[in-house]
Amino acid sequence: MNQPLLEVTDLSKYFGGLKALDHVNFKVMPGEILGLIGPNGAGKTVCFNLISGVYKPTFGQILFEGQSTEGSAPHEIANNGVGRTFQIVKPFASLSVLENVLVAQGISKYNAFSKMWSAWKSKSEVSKGLKILERVGLADLAHRKAGLLPLGNLRRLEIARALLVGHKLLLLDESFSGLRHEEISRLEDLIRSIREDGITVLLIEHNMRVAMGLCDQLVVLDHGQKIAEGSPEEIQQSEKVIEAYLGRKETKDAA
Amino acid sequence: MSSYVITIGTVIVIYAIAACGLNVIIGYAGQVSLGHAAFVGIGAYTAALLSTKVGSSFWISLPIVLAISAIFGLLLGLPSLRVREDFLAITTIGINFIVEAIFNYVPFFGGALGIGGIPPIALFGAKLKGFAFFYLCIFFLLIVLAACWWFTRSWAGLACFALREEESAASSMGISPVRFKLLAFVVGTCMAGLSGALNAHYITFISATDFSFPFSILLLCMVVIGGMGTLWGPVLGALILGALPEIFRPIVDYRILFYTVMLLLMIRFQPGGLLGENMMVRRVLAKILPGVR
Repeated sequence: MNQPLLEVTDLSKYFGGLKALDHVNFKVMPGEILGLIGPNGAGKTVCFNLISGVYKPTFGQILFEGQSTEGSAPHEIANNGVGRTFQIVKPFASLSVLENVLVAQGISKYNAFSKMWSAWKSKSEVSKGLKILERVGLADLAHRKAGLLPLGNLRRLEIARALLVGHKLLLLDESFSGLRHEEISRLEDLIRSIREDGITVLLIEHNMRVAMGLCDQLVVLDHGQKIAEGSPEEIQQSEKVIEAYLGRKETKDAA
Repeated sequence: MSSYVITIGTVIVIYAIAACGLNVIIGYAGQVSLGHAAFVGIGAYTAALLSTKVGSSFWISLPIVLAISAIFGLLLGLPSLRVREDFLAITTIGINFIVEAIFNYVPFFGGALGIGGIPPIALFGAKLKGFAFFYLCIFFLLIVLAACWWFTRSWAGLACFALREEESAASSMGISPVRFKLLAFVVGTCMAGLSGALNAHYITFISATDFSFPFSILLLCMVVIGGMGTLWGPVLGALILGALPEIFRPIVDYRILFYTVMLLLMIRFQPGGLLGENMMVRRVLAKILPGVR
């Protein structure tokens, strides 16, 4: 049997009386693109923050490669090969685009006292960084200050950084929002090529066309609970999902 | 050169060493510390006690001073893991007052009388005075600048820059905020300790008020005016703020007013500091000589 890369069981996060996430279960299989969708406030980003260690679950368990991530800090989870982007982009604003990528490239250096003192601006590191920037289409902006980039480029910069960290699992938090049409199709191609490299992708998406076209499996959250799970075709037919997005049909002449 | 000028020069260099240390904490790692004078004081008192009570020479006490500064940097850097920005600033002010009070009220530290009779530094049997001491301080400043340069080109330095810019993003890239904030604190406080030890052996007398909160602010102003996060900024800041009181001695009554106006002008026109990004010096030069970038 194939072991899931990531398995979430009974995952719950309460903020006081607010049940942001309540007994959620799902599995992510290796090599799959799993989409996490749901209306605003459904708990999608909370779920990401739990998986990446920013929050501690109120209860429930997260297994990554069969190991519980309980008590792991965000930087330790990153060291396991889990990269993430942020819904509200978080560039290192006063560093250059290339330097932003180099920060992520240094992930293997920050934990060894002997390695952390070597120089980061070496030729081999810079050319490696430029290669990643080329892949996401930012190579010509490498020496521009990150804080000056428009949103579309920042989203790609976030993916470049996450790619260097997440050689096993990539968490993409609404990477498509605020992008123009042609940027969206370019990013779709990028995510497909990432999957071809054997990286598993878990993404949050609001754009239904993108989510349906890109994902193998979808998990639908609403008010902190999982209301549906399945292939895009199954989700499109689900009564519960349509109800969560559009509301219930009261009576026939209600309109 | 008159001994007056040498004295001012030596003090400026000692200030510059402490300011470089503060720059590591604030400029590189982005942790606002308003209690840096406390660490200069810890270095100065360690050196003073070792030389007057134990009789050890400066060269033997130097590693001990650095070690003790590092330990206190580590301990007092711990708040930076819990509190951020404004709250960290207030906490470090508190630390400054506590350390000053301990020096002032505990008899072991000489109380309000301070510690006097600290012997000057000897090198190969000769006591260093005047120019010789000035050169010694320059030597240490160059070591400190080399250390700063080394730090900024290392992965550890890059990790600190990332923490300064965006902590949550940095930690999602495998950077432990605990490790690198404390590292910046330890590097910064070691430099402060060195500055304090040189100060104690130069002035030969120290008291608690030398290391009070206004001195922390002075150091902060040096870093801000020179340019936070730059290599030479703190040195330039120390030079300006160290020399100005002497130049403006004739209008001593208006000195504070002048400082205030200068700081406000800096905030308005050069928020990155004189050597910070988009610096005025470069803009002016570029206008005169179009080739300069």
